[in-house]
Amino acid sequence: MQLNRRHLLQTALTLGAMHAFPGITWAQARPLVFATFTGSWEEAHKAVLVPAFRKATSNADIVLDPMLSVDQISKINAAKSNPPIDVMLHDPGPALQAIAQGLVEPYPVERSAHFKDLIPAAQEATGPSPFFQTVGLTYNPDTVTTPPTSWADLWKPEFKNRVGITNLNSTLGTGFLVEIAKMHGGSESNIEPGFKALDQLKPNLSAVAANPGQLATLFQQGQIDISPGNFNAIQILKARGVPVEWVAPKEGAIAFKTTIHIVRNSPNQELAFKLIEAALSPEVQAQLMEEPYLIVPTNTKVRMGGEIAKALAKDHADMLSKFVFQDWAKINEQRSAWIERFNREIRI
Amino acid sequence: MAGSRRSITSYEVRLAFPLALFFVVFFLTPLVILFILSLRSDPQGTSHGVGQYVQFLGDAFSLGVLGSTLWLGVKVTVLALVLGYPVAWLHVRSPGWAKGVIMLIVLLPLLTSVVVRTFAWIVILGRQGIVNTMLIDLGLIDTPLRLLYTETGVVVALAQVQMPLMVLPLITALSRIDPNLADASSMLGAGHWRTFRKVLLPLSLPGILAGCLLTYAAAITAFITQSLVGGGQMLFMPSYIYQQASALQNWPFAAAISIIFLVAVLAVVSIFNVLGRLSRGYAHG
Repeated sequence: MQLNRRHLLQTALTLGAMHAFPGITWAQARPLVFATFTGSWEEAHKAVLVPAFRKATSNADIVLDPMLSVDQISKINAAKSNPPIDVMLHDPGPALQAIAQGLVEPYPVERSAHFKDLIPAAQEATGPSPFFQTVGLTYNPDTVTTPPTSWADLWKPEFKNRVGITNLNSTLGTGFLVEIAKMHGGSESNIEPGFKALDQLKPNLSAVAANPGQLATLFQQGQIDISPGNFNAIQILKARGVPVEWVAPKEGAIAFKTTIHIVRNSPNQELAFKLIEAALSPEVQAQLMEEPYLIVPTNTKVRMGGEIAKALAKDHADMLSKFVFQDWAKINEQRSAWIERFNREIRI
Repeated sequence: MAGSRRSITSYEVRLAFPLALFFVVFFLTPLVILFILSLRSDPQGTSHGVGQYVQFLGDAFSLGVLGSTLWLGVKVTVLALVLGYPVAWLHVRSPGWAKGVIMLIVLLPLLTSVVVRTFAWIVILGRQGIVNTMLIDLGLIDTPLRLLYTETGVVVALAQVQMPLMVLPLITALSRIDPNLADASSMLGAGHWRTFRKVLLPLSLPGILAGCLLTYAAAITAFITQSLVGGGQMLFMPSYIYQQASALQNWPFAAAISIIFLVAVLAVVSIFNVLGRLSRGYAHG
């Protein structure tokens, strides 16, 4: 066997891991497994985050294993003592579930070089938030000539049979329901006005998609002309020539923190930390802000620019005033009841 | 040596061991685990009982989902049978080269992923899809009809997607029928309809039942087609299970739904089996 730097590093790390976790000494040293999301997330992470991580760790082995949040939780739950994943990526709802189920290792904040530079909302000790997702209004500029300005526009009679939403299985669908509840005097703990508003939306509804990805298909097929939509998903559609535009409604765009976590009992804790550090670094975040990724940065050292500065916010102060954050701890308490109610009541 | 010779038609039971082992490890064990999981009273498993089953069976909405799923299967199966029988018949009665073409057309859908086939239906049924565009061009309608995200859309798409499962057993059954029987029937004065009803239909019944069974089982469990063409507001058992297990992380309830669904499907399958046994009596008796 040839001895080179990589082998030495691997051996050292393995020995370190074995020392730190005697229970897993039988476990085979394996590459760092990062469960990112599918689609544009995977593309962005493969192109920007992974090279940055490799550079920081002298080419440590890393594998991207893209899957939904809920699948990450299920997989780790099935093998808690020797999890098949080292780093998780989560929407706010599943993140709280993962933390509640004890699957998350606290982030070593004191060792982090970038944690203190994040905007306050992103500084979570259970796992910081390197990215934001923003939900606003998506519309087809060919058929919707006056751009919408408010969530309330979805109820306009001219959009009869033109509106698409998703069900509550997705973060987007749930976040949208909470937002329209707030618009009508409700809140995370009082969803009643939201359901009432959804009921009044029925004549306009053309489709209730099973997931946000389906909304994209429906725009392409002309099945819907306006819907709540994820800023990043729309940029990708736009780049492929689909006539769609995205606006932040005047009530504020809904912002979801995407958080990144070290998995408890992971045999690759140190590498996991390094990956997350790379994701928080201004270099990676600045690169991910560029076309075609357009991912909203959370590190205040990154200067907003390009399409993000134009469509979303020109700096981080502007962002905090324009974005609406939701209380997902409260939402999670009742989400199953809402889903059940949605199942029963929303039939078109 | 004669004493050690065995009948060549009896075979060693031990030959089935590898398959049996495979089934025990990968099918039976997960099923038992699923069942045990379904007996938990809450996701954490603090206590056990039949609470999840009581909750499902005592809830009109859940029973409605089960009912509509089983009923969806019936509609799909009937449509696939009505459309598939003539195709199978055509195949059996065609000359050699046409047989090949028809078989290729029947099998072609199986060569692509079910996701691709289902996406084709989204294009066909959409507001600007083929159906709506044609109806508007013909002046039959003014505004596009809502075809996508309706139950009719799901039934039609599923019938097409699962069609090979219906047609292949039918072809097998129909090609076993001696063509002379139909000629003999008409010689004896029976019309086409009577020949079909009294000769062909009874003789092809085993194929019909096999095709129906396969189509039915595939249609009610077709998660992808159901959710892509049906959308997020139409709830059938597979998406109900997915929703409870994935979005809500309520594994015990999802497990209970799965077991109930399994039992319901087994009940339907045994009805088919009983019909199959009766049909043998009908055809030969």
